[in-house]
Amino acid sequence: MNGFAHLLTSALVALVQLALVAVGGPLLLGVMRKVRSRLEGRVGAPIHQPLLDLRKLFTKQRMRPRESSWLFGVGPLVLVATVVCVSAISPLATTRPPLGQSTDFFAVIFALLLGSVVLALAALDTGTAFAGMGSSRSMTIGALCEPALLVAILAMAIPARTSNLPALVRAGLGHPALIASPSRVLALASFLVVILAESGRLPVDNPSTHLELTMIHEAMVLEYSGPDLGLIILGESMRLAFLLGLLVNLLVPWGVANRPGALFFVIGLAALAAKVLVTGVAIATFEVFTAKMRLFRLPELLAGGFVLALLGAVTAVVAR
Amino acid sequence: MNNATYSSLLELAAGLVILCAFVTLWRRSLSAIVRALSVQGVALGIVALVLGLHRHDAVLITVGGLVIAAKGAVIPTLLRRVLANDSRNRETSPLVNVPASLVGAGALTFLAYGATRSVVALVPTSAGRLIPLGLATLLIGFFSMVIRRKAASQIVGLLLVDNGIALVAFLATAGVPLLVELGASLDVLLVVVVLRVLAVQLSSKFAVLDLDQLQGLHD
Amino acid sequence: MNHVSVLISVLAGLTATVAGGALPIRSRVGVAVLLTWVSCSAALVAAVSVLRSGHAIVMSTSKILPLTGISIVLTRLGAVFVLAIVMVALASTLYWIGYASHGLSTRSASSALPLFVTSMILVPFAGGVATFLVLWELMALTSLVLVLTDQSRREAARSAAQWYAVMTHAGAAAILLALVLLSAHAGGQTFAQIELHARHLSGALRGTIFVLALLGFASKAGAVPLHVWLPKAHAEAPGPASALMSGAMVNLGIYGIILVGNVLLGGGPVWWWLLVSALGVLSALYGALYAATTSDLKRLLAYSTADNMGLVLIALGASGMFAASGSRTTAAIAMVAALLLMFNHSLFKGALFLAAGAVQMVTGTRDLDRLGGLLKRMPVTGVVFLIGALSVAALPPLNGFVGEWLLLQSLLHALPSTNTAVVITVAVAVAALALTGGLTVAAFVKAMGIGFLGRPRSEEASNALEVPATMQLGAGLLALSCLALGLVPMLILPSLELGARSAQHIGVSSPVHGWISLHLFGLRGVLAPSLLAGGLFVALMATVLARRVSHRRSRSWPALAPVEPWGSGRRTQTVRMQYTSTSFAEPLQRVFDDVIRPARDLNVSPAAESHYYVERIAYRTSSDDVIERVIYQPLIVAVRRWGRLARKLQNGSVHRYLAYGLLALVIVLVVLA
Repeated sequence: MNGFAHLLTSALVALVQLALVAVGGPLLLGVMRKVRSRLEGRVGAPIHQPLLDLRKLFTKQRMRPRESSWLFGVGPLVLVATVVCVSAISPLATTRPPLGQSTDFFAVIFALLLGSVVLALAALDTGTAFAGMGSSRSMTIGALCEPALLVAILAMAIPARTSNLPALVRAGLGHPALIASPSRVLALASFLVVILAESGRLPVDNPSTHLELTMIHEAMVLEYSGPDLGLIILGESMRLAFLLGLLVNLLVPWGVANRPGALFFVIGLAALAAKVLVTGVAIATFEVFTAKMRLFRLPELLAGGFVLALLGAVTAVVAR
Repeated sequence: MNNATYSSLLELAAGLVILCAFVTLWRRSLSAIVRALSVQGVALGIVALVLGLHRHDAVLITVGGLVIAAKGAVIPTLLRRVLANDSRNRETSPLVNVPASLVGAGALTFLAYGATRSVVALVPTSAGRLIPLGLATLLIGFFSMVIRRKAASQIVGLLLVDNGIALVAFLATAGVPLLVELGASLDVLLVVVVLRVLAVQLSSKFAVLDLDQLQGLHD
Repeated sequence: MNHVSVLISVLAGLTATVAGGALPIRSRVGVAVLLTWVSCSAALVAAVSVLRSGHAIVMSTSKILPLTGISIVLTRLGAVFVLAIVMVALASTLYWIGYASHGLSTRSASSALPLFVTSMILVPFAGGVATFLVLWELMALTSLVLVLTDQSRREAARSAAQWYAVMTHAGAAAILLALVLLSAHAGGQTFAQIELHARHLSGALRGTIFVLALLGFASKAGAVPLHVWLPKAHAEAPGPASALMSGAMVNLGIYGIILVGNVLLGGGPVWWWLLVSALGVLSALYGALYAATTSDLKRLLAYSTADNMGLVLIALGASGMFAASGSRTTAAIAMVAALLLMFNHSLFKGALFLAAGAVQMVTGTRDLDRLGGLLKRMPVTGVVFLIGALSVAALPPLNGFVGEWLLLQSLLHALPSTNTAVVITVAVAVAALALTGGLTVAAFVKAMGIGFLGRPRSEEASNALEVPATMQLGAGLLALSCLALGLVPMLILPSLELGARSAQHIGVSSPVHGWISLHLFGLRGVLAPSLLAGGLFVALMATVLARRVSHRRSRSWPALAPVEPWGSGRRTQTVRMQYTSTSFAEPLQRVFDDVIRPARDLNVSPAAESHYYVERIAYRTSSDDVIERVIYQPLIVAVRRWGRLARKLQNGSVHRYLAYGLLALVIVLVVLA
């Protein structure tokens, strides 16, 4: 009976975390757009506009380019599925998520990578020029992000002596000195650069551009429409929310439920939402003052991210 | 100041010093580079201050204050004056491109780390452990002098070297004698002034501040 | 019992060779394949029994080879390699049945292939220097014959074979020197004798032997800068042969390094392993970069082999280094990671090469820029390639990910360490691993996306049809094992651990354990590949369901309507507007311009009326191997020059030859006096 109750709570925790990310992702997008338009002197669409857009998209017809194969339809599904899977088992609102013992940082990152790879393949499947261009550019950026990402994880994992995600968050709760340590700050700064690059935010990619030649991510999904496009938008926004959630929990873990109990979990949810909201507003504000970088200047940015992570690793080893 | 705060403050300040060294390689705009340099000077001064407060060493505290004043304010201001004369104040084409130079600087950091293992073993304090960061700053300074073209970048490299030496000195011993540090800072100040004069002359003669053009003198 | 199965394996292999050469063309391939299977199965039985019991098979006879005799010893380490080779051999011989009509049913090919398989299987059985070298040479020669069998590309094949022959013999010479030095100083030519005495040799001698052996074996494994033959030979060899070379033969290079470094010399100082890791980092990065930028499907796979062997070498070097600096657990895990990476590579690279062979057979080209749309035309081959590509890109839920995770964990837990070399190696290795991983992902998205998706870029590609069932089955077998090992790595991990333990005597009994979730012995690191895969599957099903529910609620549209692609509103989308592999790789090529230094050629011919109007633009870019250009071409030029000098010495005059003889005699006498 106890085992069954445990299973039920785990499933509930997973579902609630998942629901928060699924609703919070589009809302985060709405908030970021709102902040942007307000700072630019416009009124802007209401915050829940992305949700309305999604509802609209799901009422439309599904279409696929004539020459495409089954992979075209699978791409958006895999993208959403990977985010759904990792946000159910990651320490977002609690440090004891279901299957938390095996929620490895590397596994989470590689699972997310699976989503982007399948989407890039699906873009090539359309057989059009712009989709291929977007796919090529996003894979280039992805390849250059990877060193910064993995070394940043290394830098965070060295002091904690594990790459288990819940353990990393718990380590921050247990030893506040670890949070202020330069290794962790540097690693997280590098992680932030990678998040911005991977989720197509400024200065890497302009999410609101209308010019195909400068598009990266938007170009990749040009051929998608209706529910498939809806899934992609949902998946992308969920991924941004999820990654920011991880970032803030590693940076300032306060509020995350560290012991069982519904009250702590609810506090954890609220804290997570608040922290991600603040980060999202900060990013949106930053975007107002930033121009998109030239594509071939991006290696400089990402090399900078890599060096931040490397410095984090060095200081982690030096400071022991 | 308790021990944990002391060592984490020290780590943060020393980390900031080397981070600024990387920023000087990362950014192209010379004004951003000078800004990084002034932050680095302040961080260096904080290292001295923290060490001085921890050891109750009045001289070290004074040095810290002077370092902040000299390297955080005076020298950057002078540098900005040099730059004000040069309209094209961007390091447009370094000899090694930015990503490669960042990776090279990362490698130098590792070299510094490897080379100072024995020294660190001799100074088993929380300050001594950070010595590699000082040496790395020094090496990056040298490196940036090698790969940058602009005269102002060369001064920046020299200042990085100086800051690196100062950081090592602060961390390795109980602190540099006040006189030595002041002397070194004065030297640098002198160099900056000389270069400023030179720069003004260069730019009035050739209208650019590109050191590669000095090679023309050789031919 | 074991002795019998070894004998059966040898005899069946030899009979297959004879049968392949002697039988008429109709029954030739079938009989050879059957007999090769018998040989493989017998070897498999022997390997499994050695792994289970731990008793090495020991046989020897002085009858066959003069002076030294043949000695056969199979340890657990060797058995692991036999397993990997047998897996690839079974699949590619099955595939051969369907492929044979494509130039692989000639007498020479159908006797070389079984002999190649048999000699590869037997290399890990070798128990002495002489036996080892004979089998090693046999393997090199038979594979050389196989490279030459593709008649359609005679010139390219011949040049590839030349490079291969030179490099493999230079490597063999280094190995010969190392092993002869070893047996001369250890007083015996069997590995058992050497193992007893090699510990007492001087450090300098041991170092020399290790470096020589490393050079020889690393060139077989395709480590940069000794890799130049690999992209040529592996690309030119016909389908099954290239799968065998890339999936199985390169493993034996790794086997050789472990054999000499860990078993015979019993481990060594840190600098040996630093050298191994450095080779690994270089190969991984270089291989991945070239895989990401080349547009020849099989060359891409071959470069990716150099990349993957680089990862194995990194793991091997890390393991040796950790052992030398005293951290046993991480050393044991890194060794298991090395073997797992190697085993995984055999499976997915075998599958990928078999799929690429099928594409080449059907379309007659390996140029990605002339392929496309093959997933719809060749559904099974396409899915095999997709599984292989996701696996080589180290994505869950496939086997490549587990190996990479294990390596990352061993590196991670080696820190913080007191040894500077370890710290630097770990940081460099993680960064290299990551960049390699990213580039590999880009390379295989390109290979899959340009080669198999989108619209066909040529007549041949649009007329492509699925290959015969045996070929699908052979390639599918390997792809399925990729999936199986990705879900349950414990199917193979215990065997790999036994093999690793017999190579490295450091007494950590089971560094990785647990069926559902992998636990690391004494370290905090857990991975549950099957649960992760299950989670992904459930999430996928839930997403499908959600889409269906939310979609149906609105209106009843027809399922998935095929329409003309939108393409930003262009009326007609021609095939030539698609991104090609060259254009896909262009950003990466530009980022790494300083490394690759591609030759670019842009010709703009203006119209006659005005030079503002352009009539034609010709753009050509080629990125041939920069190491070949910078290191090997000058070397070849220098050798040619020496050759010309030597020709002057030899002008046909008898008097001059006699004078040389006299001169030699005088010099000898002077030296003796």
